[in-house]
Amino acid sequence: MAGIKDLGVGIGWRSEIDLTVERLPGVDFVEVVAENLHIGHLPESVTLLLERGVPVLPHAVSLSLGSADQVDLHRVEHLGAVAEAVGAPMVSDHVCFVRAGGLDSGHLMPVPRTRDALDVLVANVKLAQRNLPVPLALENVAALLEWPDGELSEGQFLAELVERTDCWLLVDVANLYANARNIGTDPERFLDEIPLERLAYVHVAGGEQNGDIYHDTHAHAVLPEVLEVLDELCSRVAPPGVLLERDDNYPSDTEIAGELAAIRAVVNKHRG
Amino acid sequence: METPTTAQGTWLSAEEAGFLTAGPGRAAEAVLARLIDTGLVRVSRDGLVTAVHQTGHEATTSIEARMLGHARTAVRFDTIVQSTANSTEVADLYRHLFSRGLLQVPRRRSEARWFTLAVAGVLTVAGFVAPPFFAGVPIALCLFVLQYGRSPVTKAGKAALKHVTAHDRVHAVALHGFTGKVARQHVGELFELPQSVVKMIPPRSRKPRKRSTADGGGCGSASSSSSCGTTSSGCSSSSGSSCSGGSSCGGGGGGD
Ligand SMILES: [Fe+2]
Repeated sequence: MAGIKDLGVGIGWRSEIDLTVERLPGVDFVEVVAENLHIGHLPESVTLLLERGVPVLPHAVSLSLGSADQVDLHRVEHLGAVAEAVGAPMVSDHVCFVRAGGLDSGHLMPVPRTRDALDVLVANVKLAQRNLPVPLALENVAALLEWPDGELSEGQFLAELVERTDCWLLVDVANLYANARNIGTDPERFLDEIPLERLAYVHVAGGEQNGDIYHDTHAHAVLPEVLEVLDELCSRVAPPGVLLERDDNYPSDTEIAGELAAIRAVVNKHRG
Repeated sequence: METPTTAQGTWLSAEEAGFLTAGPGRAAEAVLARLIDTGLVRVSRDGLVTAVHQTGHEATTSIEARMLGHARTAVRFDTIVQSTANSTEVADLYRHLFSRGLLQVPRRRSEARWFTLAVAGVLTVAGFVAPPFFAGVPIALCLFVLQYGRSPVTKAGKAALKHVTAHDRVHAVALHGFTGKVARQHVGELFELPQSVVKMIPPRSRKPRKRSTADGGGCGSASSSSSCGTTSSGCSSSSGSSCSGGSSCGGGGGGD
C-alpha cells in the first residue's frame, strides 16, 4: 500500500448512536469495534453507511499483540473477516496486551518498552499481518504506569516497531495527552520520533482530569489541550484521517457535531 | 396543576391531548415524542431509548422527568412507553383531567342495547292496546341510555381536543401515535425513526379500536393499558372514578 487515502474526519460507530452517526453532517468515515460485529449479520446502520460510500474501518481491542503468549489466530481471522465484510482498506489494534497467563486484564495494558518486549511484539505483529487480508495499523495507548527498566522512549519504541514490521501507526492524541499528564511523556518528542509518513490516521477522544490523574474516559468532552496536541501533529503532517471516539455518556447530536467541527477546524488550519 | 384556557377554550398540552385522544399509552408516546424532539433522549436503530448526557435542558413535567430517569440506562422503545403509561405520574394526569371535567367515568356499551330499544318500541305499541304497558317504556328507554355506553372523554374534553392540531411532530404523536399517519406520512418518519422501532409498540395497541371511535374517542388505543371505556364497571354513578380506582386509565398499580 503506497499510502493511506484521504479519509477526512470520522467518528467511532457505536450502536447506541447509530442513527446519530447516520444523520450527522460531515462524517467522512467511521470505525467499528471489530469484536462487536458478527460476520453475516452486519448492523443495518453499518450496511447503510457502506451503501453511501462511507469507509468503515475495523478497530480491534483484543488481539493482545504485546502478550508473551502467541496471538490467538481466531481473533485475527475474525478481524480479517470483518475487514473483508466491510471492504476496509486497513484494520487496527493497539500496542498493548490485554491477556497474560490466561487472565484477561479488561484494560489495554502498556507494553514494557524493553528490547525483549519489542521482540515479542514484533513477532506477534508479523504473525497477525501474515493472517490479515489488509494492512495493520497500531495505536499508542494511554498508560497510568510505566514498567521499570524501559530502554526506549515511546516514540522510539513505535518507530522501531514500524521499521521492523512495516505496520502503520494510529496515533491517539488523547492517549498522548494522557501520557503527558500522567507519566510525563513529551508529546513533541513523541511526534519527532515516530515515522509520520506511516501515519494511518488519528484518534481524538474526551476525558476527565481527576485530581492528578487524567482519565481517558471517552465519556467526556474533548479537552482543548487534546486539540492542541492534534494541532501540533497537524503542523508536522497532514493526517490522512482524524476520528472522534466516544464510548459512553453520549451527548446531544449538536455537541457531537460541534466536536467534529472543532477537529475539522484544526485539520483545515494547516491545509491552507 | 392549574387549568389554562384560551379564547377558544381549554388549552391542552401534548401529553393531555394524547391522553384524551387514546389514553395513557398515547400520553406516554407524546411525552417520549417531546423528549426526542428536544434532544433529551435519543433512539437507536435497535429501539433503545437513552437519555442524552448533559444537555442543559430539563424535563418540564413530572411525566417527562420520570421517563428521562428511566432512560438513564438504555430501555426499549415499547417498554418505556408502557412503563410510563402505567406510572403514578400518568395516573396523576388522569386525575387532573378528571378534575378539570375533561374525563368522566365511562360506561361500557352493551350489545343488548338495540334489543332494549326494541322492547321499548313493543311496549309503546302494546301501550295503545293496554295503557299499563306505557309504564315500562321510560324504564326501557333509561336502560337503553345506560346500555348505549359513555365515552370517558366528556363533551368539554372533546371540545378541547377539537382545538388541538398536528401542527408539530409532538402533537402529531399525541393525536395519531408514532404508528399513525398525518398528511399521508408515517408519524414515525417525522422523527426519522425506522419502522422497526415504531412497530415495537404492540399491534393490539396500534390498531384504533372501533369501540373507541363509536364512543367518541378516548382511552382506546394506548399502548399497554387497556381502554377506559371497556373495563369500567358499567352504570356506576359513584363519585369515584373507575379508572383512577385501579382499572385501566393508567391509575392502577403505579410505576415500576
Ligand atoms: Fe484510541
